[in-house]
Amino acid sequence: MRRLVTVVRREYVERVRSKAFVVSTFLGPLLVLGFLIGPTMLMQRQRGKPLRVAVVDATGALRAAVEQALARPHAAAGPRFVIVPPAPGDPETARRAGRDDVLDGRLDGLLYFGSDALNTAQAEYYGKNVSNVMDLQTLQSAADEAVVDRRLADAGLDGGRVQALTRHLDLRKIRVTATGEREDRGQTFFLAMLLLTMLYTTVAMWGAAIMNGVIEEKTNRVVEVIVSSIPTSTLFAGKLIGVGSAGLTQFSVWALTLAVLSGYGAAAGGGLPLPEVSPLLLASFVVYFLLGYFLYGSLYAAVGASVNTQQEAQSLAFPVMMPLILGFVFFPVVLGNPDSALSVTLSLVPFFTPMLMFLRITAVPPPAWQIGLSLVLTLATIAGATWFASRVYRIGILMYGKRPTFPEIVRWARAR
Amino acid sequence: MNEDAIRLSGIGKAYSGHVAVDSLSLSVARGATFGLLGPNGAGKTTTLRMIMNVLGPDTGTIEILGRPAAQESRDRVGYMPEERGLYPRMVVEEQLLFFAELKGVPRKEASQRLMPWLERLGLLEWRQRKLNELSKGMQQKAQFIATVLHDPEILILDEPLSGLDPVGVNVMRDVFLDLRRRGKTVVLSSHQMETVERLCDSIALIDRGRKVLDGAVSEVKSRYGKNTVVLAYDGDGAFLASLPGVVKVSDFGRYVEIRMSEEADSQLILREATSRLRVSRFEVMEPSLHDIFVEQVTAKGEAAA
Repeated sequence: MRRLVTVVRREYVERVRSKAFVVSTFLGPLLVLGFLIGPTMLMQRQRGKPLRVAVVDATGALRAAVEQALARPHAAAGPRFVIVPPAPGDPETARRAGRDDVLDGRLDGLLYFGSDALNTAQAEYYGKNVSNVMDLQTLQSAADEAVVDRRLADAGLDGGRVQALTRHLDLRKIRVTATGEREDRGQTFFLAMLLLTMLYTTVAMWGAAIMNGVIEEKTNRVVEVIVSSIPTSTLFAGKLIGVGSAGLTQFSVWALTLAVLSGYGAAAGGGLPLPEVSPLLLASFVVYFLLGYFLYGSLYAAVGASVNTQQEAQSLAFPVMMPLILGFVFFPVVLGNPDSALSVTLSLVPFFTPMLMFLRITAVPPPAWQIGLSLVLTLATIAGATWFASRVYRIGILMYGKRPTFPEIVRWARAR
Repeated sequence: MNEDAIRLSGIGKAYSGHVAVDSLSLSVARGATFGLLGPNGAGKTTTLRMIMNVLGPDTGTIEILGRPAAQESRDRVGYMPEERGLYPRMVVEEQLLFFAELKGVPRKEASQRLMPWLERLGLLEWRQRKLNELSKGMQQKAQFIATVLHDPEILILDEPLSGLDPVGVNVMRDVFLDLRRRGKTVVLSSHQMETVERLCDSIALIDRGRKVLDGAVSEVKSRYGKNTVVLAYDGDGAFLASLPGVVKVSDFGRYVEIRMSEEADSQLILREATSRLRVSRFEVMEPSLHDIFVEQVTAKGEAAA
């Protein structure tokens, strides 16, 4: 027991002291924040410069309305368009002139309505850049609005009144849970996505950390000295526990950061729309992380023991990664319909359970028996996987030379 | 307390068809310095690994200090594998304490014992460095400390002197002698016969997984009798090989070694030599371990081929 503690402590201390750990633990949240906030900020900065747009209207009935709609200030960013009068002459000449202006950079875009635009419901936009989706969206709805208004007026209807009557429904989504109701503007989805990604990356990351640790001990031949002192099983268990504890330490730092941030956000008047993270959710996150970690970590350790170099590990690690990736791929299926027979079945498959059962918990809490069953099945699989892995490990760590084939590895596991 | 330090009874180990060790029986007396000899691939490392319980033998039993090999007996043994192994990116002091703790020594105690060793082997000012900042020789010494820090009764050293410079060899030899004075049992494997001949009091020679011979060094040598003549001379000694009773003549440049058959008469050789050559040295002696080793291994090889 004391020797197990010795191994655990070494693994833990060496991990936690490493630069990689410090960087990923403290810079990780900053990076995530940067990824979330960065693009939005960049987008807003870029939107600073309005587009110079000319409207050429062969119908003669739309231009005024479109120009008016385009000139409207857009949200907080101010008007997105500067209206440039079209070139003089008939519409066709004006269109050609406008196109040349676009090409020469005197104009950013030209909106052209053909003479039967009201009937065909078609218009054309000429621009050097036609992938600035958000601005074009605004432009399209302005044109759309003008065309519809015109048609309504021609049919003798009042545009404003029709608009009021056909206003779209705003569906408020209220999540009902045992502890009360709460309006949801996508936080549940966002949270599920975030936690699942975290679960996936951390299991993969710490699994690979074990694998690389095993390879390092093997290539540096430390392992022979260690297994001449303690049983292989103690080394194997100590490694899993030690690296896992480092993983949990990292979570604690993250959870604390989140708590401080959300506390700060709440104090600052709810600046950040942080979703509700209940202690129960946190606890189940940790539980399913540990399940995933021990399941995949032990297999990663077996892979590490079977190979000589990290390059060799790549191909052998792939079958281990596969179910983990699949679990991640299934996430829309399960999140879209958490109670369907398919979702329930998938979430009970032990290799998927850590991710998919946890995902279901974030969406709609599944019945207790399903959670219980998933725990039992996964724990049984972990027992099998660690048994298999520790036996492969025992033989593999002393084998050098050719990379073993899969049947050979199975033979190792069955060896006396 | 007069039982053997190590006793192997008919141990065997095969890897997928290839027999590495074949029903090997040996015993090492307490306090002895024991040399396990053999050419490359003879099964030395496999045997030592089985003694250390790193590998399980397919057949036979291993007793250490009179008991079947178990965790408790492993704590009383120090093992230095042929391929040295320490954590390259771990601080020297930290990892030496780690290895002592794995042998069941409390950290505090290990820490107290460590300083004298670091001082003795000249690593004191390097103890806070990472291992990969040390030179190869210093890493070897650190490895040796990892082997002895838990004060084992038995030391098992696989090729302990390979890779050391002459100064390092001397330091290590002093340490061995000191360990022997303190009653420790040392088992070392080597194919450097001179080293073994100087350090060990008993040996076993193995080849192709089997024991070829074993016993005290003096006894092994006397078993071969005084059958070797060393002769230094001026002149053409080509005729020596054809003298009656001469088995082999090895020319070392400044002198020759003449191996005689059992019934040969060394005095006949001396008479013939003095009559035809200017002899400056003549000595009848026991064969070196090196000769015995080469002879045994090649003889077996020819028998097998």
